[in-house]
Amino acid sequence: MSKELIRLRDLTMEFDGERILDGINLYINDHEFLTLLGPSGCGKTTTLRIIGGFLTPTAGTVIFDGECINEVPPYKRQINTVFQRYALFPHLNVFDNIAFGLRVAKKPKEEIEQRVNHMLEVVSLKGYGHRNVSSLSGGQQQRVAIARALVNEPKVLLLDEPLGALDLRLRKDMQNELKRIQQATGITFVYVTHDQEEALSMSDTVVVMDKGRIQQIGKPEDIYNEPKNAFVADFIGESNILDGIMLADYKVKFFGRTFTCVDAGFEPNEPVDVVIRPEDIDIVDPKEGHLVGTVTGITFKGLNYDIIVEFKGFKWLIQTTDFHPVGAEIGIRLNPEDIHIMQKSEYSGMFGDYSSYSAEYDELTEDAGDGEE
Amino acid sequence: MKKANRVLTILMFVFLYIPMAVLIVASFNTGKDITRFEGFTLQQYAELFRDQDLLRLLGNSVLIALLSTGISVAFGTLAAVGIHSLKPKMRKVVMSLTNIPMTNPDIVTGVSLSLLFVFVGTGLLNQRESLNFGTLLLAHVTFGLPYVILNVMPKLQQMNPALTDAAMDLGCTPVKAFFKVIIHEVMPGVVSGGIMAFTMSLDDFVISYFVTGSDFVTLPVEIYTYTKKPIHPKVYAMFTLLFGLIFVLMLTMNLLQLRGDRKKVNKRPASRGWKIARRCIAGVAAVCLVVGCCFLFMSGRQERITLNVYNWGMNMADGTDGTMDLVAEFEKRYPHIDVRMSEYESNEVLYTKLSSGGITVDVIIPSDYMIDRMIAEDMLLELDFQNIPNFSYVDEQFKNPDYDPENKYSVPYTWGTVGILYNTKYVDEADVTGWELMWNEKYAGKILMIDNSRDAFGIAQYLLGYDVNTTDKAQLQACADKLAQQRPLVQQYVMDQIYATMENEEAYIAAYYAGDCMLMMEENEDLAFYLPEHQGFNLFTDAMCIPKCAKEKEAAELFINFMCDPEISGANMDYICYASPISAAKEHMEDYLAESEIVYPEEAVLEKGSAYAYLSEEISRYVEGLYQGATKINNVSTDDEPSGSPVALIVVAALLAAGGGAWVLFGRKKRKS
Amino acid sequence: MGKNKSVLLSVPYILWMVAFTLIPLCVVGYYALTDPDTGAFTLDNIRDLGMYLPVLGQSVMYSLISAALCLLLGYPVAYYIAHRTPVMQKILYMLVMLPMCMSFLLRTLAWVGLLQDTGIINNFLEWIGIGRIQLIRTPGAVVLGMVYNYLPYMILPLYATLVKIDNRLIEAAEDLGCNSLQTFGKVVLPLSVPGIFSGITMVFVPAVSTFYISQKLGGTDTVLIGDLIERLFKQGDNPNLGAVLSLVLMALVLICTGIMNRLGGDEEGGVIL
Repeated sequence: MSKELIRLRDLTMEFDGERILDGINLYINDHEFLTLLGPSGCGKTTTLRIIGGFLTPTAGTVIFDGECINEVPPYKRQINTVFQRYALFPHLNVFDNIAFGLRVAKKPKEEIEQRVNHMLEVVSLKGYGHRNVSSLSGGQQQRVAIARALVNEPKVLLLDEPLGALDLRLRKDMQNELKRIQQATGITFVYVTHDQEEALSMSDTVVVMDKGRIQQIGKPEDIYNEPKNAFVADFIGESNILDGIMLADYKVKFFGRTFTCVDAGFEPNEPVDVVIRPEDIDIVDPKEGHLVGTVTGITFKGLNYDIIVEFKGFKWLIQTTDFHPVGAEIGIRLNPEDIHIMQKSEYSGMFGDYSSYSAEYDELTEDAGDGEE
Repeated sequence: MKKANRVLTILMFVFLYIPMAVLIVASFNTGKDITRFEGFTLQQYAELFRDQDLLRLLGNSVLIALLSTGISVAFGTLAAVGIHSLKPKMRKVVMSLTNIPMTNPDIVTGVSLSLLFVFVGTGLLNQRESLNFGTLLLAHVTFGLPYVILNVMPKLQQMNPALTDAAMDLGCTPVKAFFKVIIHEVMPGVVSGGIMAFTMSLDDFVISYFVTGSDFVTLPVEIYTYTKKPIHPKVYAMFTLLFGLIFVLMLTMNLLQLRGDRKKVNKRPASRGWKIARRCIAGVAAVCLVVGCCFLFMSGRQERITLNVYNWGMNMADGTDGTMDLVAEFEKRYPHIDVRMSEYESNEVLYTKLSSGGITVDVIIPSDYMIDRMIAEDMLLELDFQNIPNFSYVDEQFKNPDYDPENKYSVPYTWGTVGILYNTKYVDEADVTGWELMWNEKYAGKILMIDNSRDAFGIAQYLLGYDVNTTDKAQLQACADKLAQQRPLVQQYVMDQIYATMENEEAYIAAYYAGDCMLMMEENEDLAFYLPEHQGFNLFTDAMCIPKCAKEKEAAELFINFMCDPEISGANMDYICYASPISAAKEHMEDYLAESEIVYPEEAVLEKGSAYAYLSEEISRYVEGLYQGATKINNVSTDDEPSGSPVALIVVAALLAAGGGAWVLFGRKKRKS
Repeated sequence: MGKNKSVLLSVPYILWMVAFTLIPLCVVGYYALTDPDTGAFTLDNIRDLGMYLPVLGQSVMYSLISAALCLLLGYPVAYYIAHRTPVMQKILYMLVMLPMCMSFLLRTLAWVGLLQDTGIINNFLEWIGIGRIQLIRTPGAVVLGMVYNYLPYMILPLYATLVKIDNRLIEAAEDLGCNSLQTFGKVVLPLSVPGIFSGITMVFVPAVSTFYISQKLGGTDTVLIGDLIERLFKQGDNPNLGAVLSLVLMALVLICTGIMNRLGGDEEGGVIL
């Protein structure tokens, strides 16, 4: 892409003896839209606050444009932030909120006027300048917060769960809006979210974090298609994760059968995690199937049905457009490209089993919005 | 039930407002008595605005309230920000510290601060006056701070912490962020805390009463002194004006608030009008502060000399009732001197004030035995009689008195007797046989006893036939028993309050100084004076002295000299009705006084009288203790050894322990906030 | 990093409060344990306290009675105010507060004018033919003075808790079959407990330590502990004994607030003036 703008080197953060960040290494390129994705408590917001200058890391360095900025206070950084729940100044109106940074920088009056008005246009809030911020809707407040940060023309914009408080429809609109703004201004966005769909649809690069560590960095497609471990596989989309053994390159054995896959480079007979996405599974007549199972549950999801199928005591989630009643016997086929092989990790065995289907699934739905389309 | 509530509420408001209505009505009264409305007048208001002293006191109160509020608000807001960022545990500790002045009774706060100031000022720093404007301000800031903190803290806690980050993110330094963002967020708390601190400071009596010195007195403290004397109706006029002012202020504040609320509903940012109003308020406050400081500064370095005269209540002609205004006259003769009068109630009060080192005064007028004591305790300065040529007018018999044998420290001011004042309408002449009248059960509840240990013991001693200067503890104990026996019959122990009570016939019998009795007899014709010659009576001399703490000795001597001018002394006696030690003054006095048997008893009568002498520190304290026990404590059987039981020790220890425990366990909460 | 620095802002305040609240109390303690003449350590002051214990008891009794009366009178009033329209509430609230801003010395003095033997009430009674009765210089007059002066301190916190009670709770109680008395007893009263206890504290503390009210309205047998302290400091010339009494008074108040806080439960009890 383009040149490197920010680099985090061995960032470690501790609060009261508790380790929040554990050796974060990351670089962010100019003009990039980078997302820090992870469940709450994974350290993503802490990372963002360190970049913003609100926290000083316990160890490690933050390098901005080639210089270490660990000790540079936030007001001297060419970085602006859109805060969780916006943090608009309630005593100022929309115009004054947006003009805040310019006024602090003592810009001439006409310039402020012109830039703020331009910004109001960019975020489609023309004519709202005199309004009290508390009288705005969530989406409008959101846009004011973005305008307030962008008007200062920062090199980097940090966004901390900016859409978290909005309802689904508005969130989708704002996602597009943000992407558009990012492309129009060319400013580097560092975006924090726990919503994997948001991350995948908007970002150039996704950084998946958990327990203060980076689990995987990559393009959205790579993250989805080639999750590095069970955590990533489970957190990004739905996954059936099985224990398997890599017999040789392109040969994996699970459920007592050997399948062909597209992965290679493992030790012979290495135990691995096998990921099979629910939407990749083809349902066939039991006679033709690689595996045969019994349907134990079915939920109508609009575009498709989620069915739970039991194979030899292990329950899978399968997404299909056809109706299969509970108790029906079905067969499945797995193509080589549907099977992803991952090395064993600390997360192995923790995810990907739908035996306690309903509870876990609901929880996930709640967490990740409405799931897949 | 609703109706009952309504009626109760109305009754409650009647109850709350009746006394104020009484005061307001009294301010339009032509008469002085609050209980009888004699006619409508605005005279009292005119009097009020002529009274420089009263206005100065009001100014003092406002000044101290503004200054202390300003300091508390600035200091407290910053401190609140600091406390807010403390760790929770530490924050709890600090908040319970904050709650100490809130939970403690005012009197304890006042006492503890005054002890601290005296302890540090007199004991450690060797200051001459340890209680002054500064200590008063310190005390007011100390009790104002918690109000600010307790109002600002919740606002800080409610504030979105990201706002500070946002401001810094947009280029504000932490200091700038405080002024551009945080201050706006906590403003409502700052304002309400400030208002509370201001009203508390303006209205504070108890704490100020203990920590105020003589140089700077606030209105409530002075009102306390007023309420001990017949109170001038102009004070009611001031009350009425203040009432109106506060009422209007509160009303406008509420209206503004209501309008503000409505504005908010209209979803508009703070209206321009409100903004301007706020700026105006801030401006006015700032101007007040600046003016106040200038005022202070100027008064601190003015060229004129301020002479502080500390006198008995109503013991110097002040121009009322057609008398000469001596202070004005003195200031006319010596324009470079400002005289500031303050008053004490009894020798004991004067002694306590001086010995605790709280005040600066230049001239005091104690009585004989007290002068003796003060000389013994080295509290007086030797006078330079070169500066007091008028001393030659003083009668020979008053020179070189027993209490000041070489006449180095004092110049007599007045002399007089202590006798019985009674109301002939109610008191049977047959009962007026001697001091036993004060013990006559027929008049139970209508007897006023003089409220200081020396005079009270004196009366008992004359009645029991003891020497007034006895140091025999058994005799003193017998006197105390006698006084304790009298207590159920006594309406009140009084000093200057005697005027109102005797004049409006609330009480019938009182023991008091002859001169004051004369004054009261002028007001109420039914009053008569009786001197129990056969039993003996006190013959006292009050004399002017300069205490060690004086700052303006020469001016003080000028003042003493001025008072010895026969013409001045005579004019003075016209007002106070005492006898002058300067015979020449008689010529300048009104005849009825100069010839009065009460003011100037015959030689033969005078011989029956006796003067108090200073006994000793130990006996003084012993007498004082007996006096308190006999007159103030309920149901003390005086047979008991006063320094009583170890039970007290245990009770106190238990109380203190329980109190400490309570504090530690759950004393964190605020009382008012 | 701004955070760490702003902690420093609390340091001067902490020093100030230690210097002007904690240390003074230590000085009081020092005086309490020293001899007035020699300045030597002694327990005599505390032993002398024995004879003042009845006064202490009397002070506590009067102020408890006053607090109870304030509660009885104040509760219906606070309840009434809390159920007015917002504008009316503001006005009534202001009217309750207003007397607190005026000199309580003069207001108490007005009561003397009302109550004394030759006072307004007695003059009136005489005029209608009932004749004069002893009003002033009775324990009743002292209690009246306390109730009068500190009633607003009871009403304001009560009002503040009552006004916070969600009206839907009352509706819910009615919906569940409570009549208005039951609703009050089962819902409103329990919810206003914090206000009740903070009100009692706010009345009790100044009442137990007052000296002016008893001086003006009381007789020779209604001396209160505040009187004693005032006299000992201002004319008795025995600050050491006064210091002991102050400490005892403080302990008393601490016990009272402690109990009230415990009974009043949540921390929100203390309410806005």
